Amino acid sequence: MMNYKVSEEMSVMEKLGILTDAAKYDVACTSSGVDRKGSGSGMGNTVAGGICHSFSADGRCISLLKILFTNECIYDCKYCINRKSNDVVRTSFTPDEVCELTMGFYKRNYIEGLFLSSGILYNPDFTMELIYQTLYKLRREHRFQGYIHVKAIPGADPFLIQKTGLLADRMSVNLELPTAEGLSRLAPNKHRKNILAPMRQIQNGIKSSKNEIVLYKNAPRFVPAGQSTQLIVGATPENDYQLMTVAENLYEKFELKRVFYSAFVNVNEDKELPALPGGPPLLREHRLYQADWLLRFYGFKAGELLSEARPNFNILLDPKADWALRHLEMFPVEVNRADYQLLLRIPGIGVKSAQRIVMARRSSFLSFPDLKKIGVVLKRALYFITCNGKMMYNTKIEEDYITRNLLTVKEKLPFDKDGITYKQLSLFDDVGFTMQPNIIDTHKAVLGQM
Amino acid sequence: MEEKYLICEDSLEGIFTGIYKAYSLKEDHSRLHIQIGEEENLRLFAEYIPIVPDAGTAVRVSRTIQRELGEETYISICRALASMDKQKGEAVYKTVVCGLQMQNGRQVMGNLTNPYVHKVFELNRGTNNEVLHLMGFLRFQELENGILFSKIGPKNNILTFLAPHFADRLSLLNFVIYDDIRGIFVVHPASKDWYLVTNAEIDSEMMENYSREELEYQELFTYFCHKIAIKERKNLNLQRSMLPLRFQEYMVEFRK
Repeated sequence: MMNYKVSEEMSVMEKLGILTDAAKYDVACTSSGVDRKGSGSGMGNTVAGGICHSFSADGRCISLLKILFTNECIYDCKYCINRKSNDVVRTSFTPDEVCELTMGFYKRNYIEGLFLSSGILYNPDFTMELIYQTLYKLRREHRFQGYIHVKAIPGADPFLIQKTGLLADRMSVNLELPTAEGLSRLAPNKHRKNILAPMRQIQNGIKSSKNEIVLYKNAPRFVPAGQSTQLIVGATPENDYQLMTVAENLYEKFELKRVFYSAFVNVNEDKELPALPGGPPLLREHRLYQADWLLRFYGFKAGELLSEARPNFNILLDPKADWALRHLEMFPVEVNRADYQLLLRIPGIGVKSAQRIVMARRSSFLSFPDLKKIGVVLKRALYFITCNGKMMYNTKIEEDYITRNLLTVKEKLPFDKDGITYKQLSLFDDVGFTMQPNIIDTHKAVLGQM
Repeated sequence: MEEKYLICEDSLEGIFTGIYKAYSLKEDHSRLHIQIGEEENLRLFAEYIPIVPDAGTAVRVSRTIQRELGEETYISICRALASMDKQKGEAVYKTVVCGLQMQNGRQVMGNLTNPYVHKVFELNRGTNNEVLHLMGFLRFQELENGILFSKIGPKNNILTFLAPHFADRLSLLNFVIYDDIRGIFVVHPASKDWYLVTNAEIDSEMMENYSREELEYQELFTYFCHKIAIKERKNLNLQRSMLPLRFQEYMVEFRK
C-alpha cells in the first residue's frame, strides 16, 4: 500500500475538529433501517427506528460520529468547502484513530455508530481502500456491532465497494445535483454516470445478498439498512418538480431507502453559485421533506403534487393540504367508512392516526371528540371529513374559503424566530400575511432531515 | 349503593392484586375503583379497602391478562403502570374489564373511544417515549475501576424497560444505571444478567472517581457537538424542543 501523509503533529482533538467541520454539511446521517441484536461477543446492536443521541445547536439530531476520513481532495467542486482550490488546513485520521474514537464514544452512549465519508486522497481506489481498512479493523479487531454508514466513492473499484458493503449497514453515494448540467457546471470532476454506477452496484448487491440469505442463513449481509443519497437544494436553478421527479426515480428505479435534501449553504462565495442573502433555503428544504414523506408513506406520486405548469411547492401550504385543495371533489370523506389509503390523503390525518382510526372504528362509531383523542388535527381535518354523515361545523367546501381558514392555523415549522425566519419569502412581502400555515408530521419531517 | 375504593400500593404487584380483589367482590365494576397510595379526599358514602400486595395473586392476574388480552396489551399495561400518573391503577383496571367483556380481548387497545383504554394508551406512550429518549440521551461515565456509570432522572419508573437495551448492547461490560429520582439502580455485570437494586445506598464518592481517559472523551464529544452544528442554521428553540432541558441536565456535552 502507498503511504499517505498524516500530520503527525496534530492531536486527535484538532483532527476531530477539522474533520467534523468538514463533514457537517452531509445531512444523511440517520442510524435507522436495521434491527440487530448484540451477539454477546462484541459491542453493539442496532435498532430499526434509529436513535438520536443528542441535538446540536442547529436543532439537528446527532446520531452517528459523522466525520471525514480526510479533507484532502483532488476534486474542485464549487459548492464544497473541501475543494482543492480552497486554502484550508488539511488533515487525515488513521484507521486506528477512527476506531478508538468510535469505540470510546459508543460505549459512553454518545453515538449510535460511525458515519464515515471522505475527500478523495490521491485517487478513488486509494481512498476507498482506506475506508475499507478502517471498517475492517472496527468490525473484526474491535468487534464493533453498532451502526456504520459509509460513503461509496464514485470511480472506485467495484470489488472494493463490494468488500466495504459487507461490513457496513448503510452505504450512500451523493448525487448532490439533480441534473447532469448542474453537476458538470459545479462539479467539473464528477460525472453523473460515475455516481449512478456504484448506486446501481449497491442496489444489485443488496438484492443478491437478500437472495443468498434465503438460501444460507449465515451468509454475510450486504448493506442491510439500504442505501441513501443527498441532493443539494438551491445551488442550481432546478425546480421542485425536477427534484421530486429525480427523488421518485431514485426510490423506484434504484430502490433507495432515503433521499436527503440539504439546503445549500454558500461556504465558498464562488461566482457560479447563487448568493443567498436570506440564508439557506430552509422552507424549501422543509417542503421537499414533507413531499418526500408523501411519496414514501402516503402513496402519492410526484406528478400528483407538482407538474410542469406548477413546478414549485406552495410556500404557504404544505404539499398535502395543497393537493387536497385542488381535489375538493373527493371531499368530504366519511371517516367511519373510508379506506386506509383515502384516510391518508386527508389533511390533519397522519399515518399513525389513520392506523388508529382503522383500529378504533372496529369497536365503535367514531365521533369528532374521538378523532381528537386519536390524534387527528381537527383544525385542519374538519373541512375534509364527516363523522356519521355530518361535518363538524357548517362549512363550505370551497377552495378560497378553506384556504383562508387553513392559513389562520399557525403552521408548526421547525424553524422561525431564533434568527432564522422566512427570509426567502421577502419576494412575496406584498401578500401581507402574518399567519403561517400548519402542517402534519412536522416532527417526522424534522427528524427526516437528519 | 356506595362506591368502594381499593387502596393499592404503587407497584405492578399492588395494582394486580387490587384487580383480583375487585373481581372477587363480584359487584358492578362501575362502583369499584382502584386508588394508589393513601386516600386523599375521603368521600362520604364510600368504603375504603386497603389491599395488601400478594405476589402469587399478582402472577395469576398477569397470566390472565396475557392469555385473554394478548402479550402486546400486557406490555402496554406494564408500561402504563410504570407511569408517574396517579390515575393509572383505575385506568388499567377498567381497561382489563373492557377487554374481558370484548369478544376478542386482544383488540382492546384499539378501543380508543373508551376513556380508560385511551388513558392506558396515553400512559403507555408516555413511558415508551421516555424509554426511547433515554436510549439515546443517557450518558455513561467510565469510573476508575472500569465500571460504566450513568445517572438519569426520568419522570416515569422506566429503569426495567431501559436495562435490556443496554444489557444487549454492552453485554461484555460492567455498567450501572442509577435512577436519581427513585434511588434505585440497575446493575449489569459483564456477560451476566442484569438485576435491579432497591433500598441500597450508592457510594457517591466512588461515582466521581473517573478513569484516566474519561474527561478527555467528554471533552472530545463536547467539541464534536460544537463542530457539527451549522451556524447558518442555528436554532436553539428547535434544539430545546427536541432535547428538553430536563435531559440536558444529565448529559456531559451540556455541562458547563
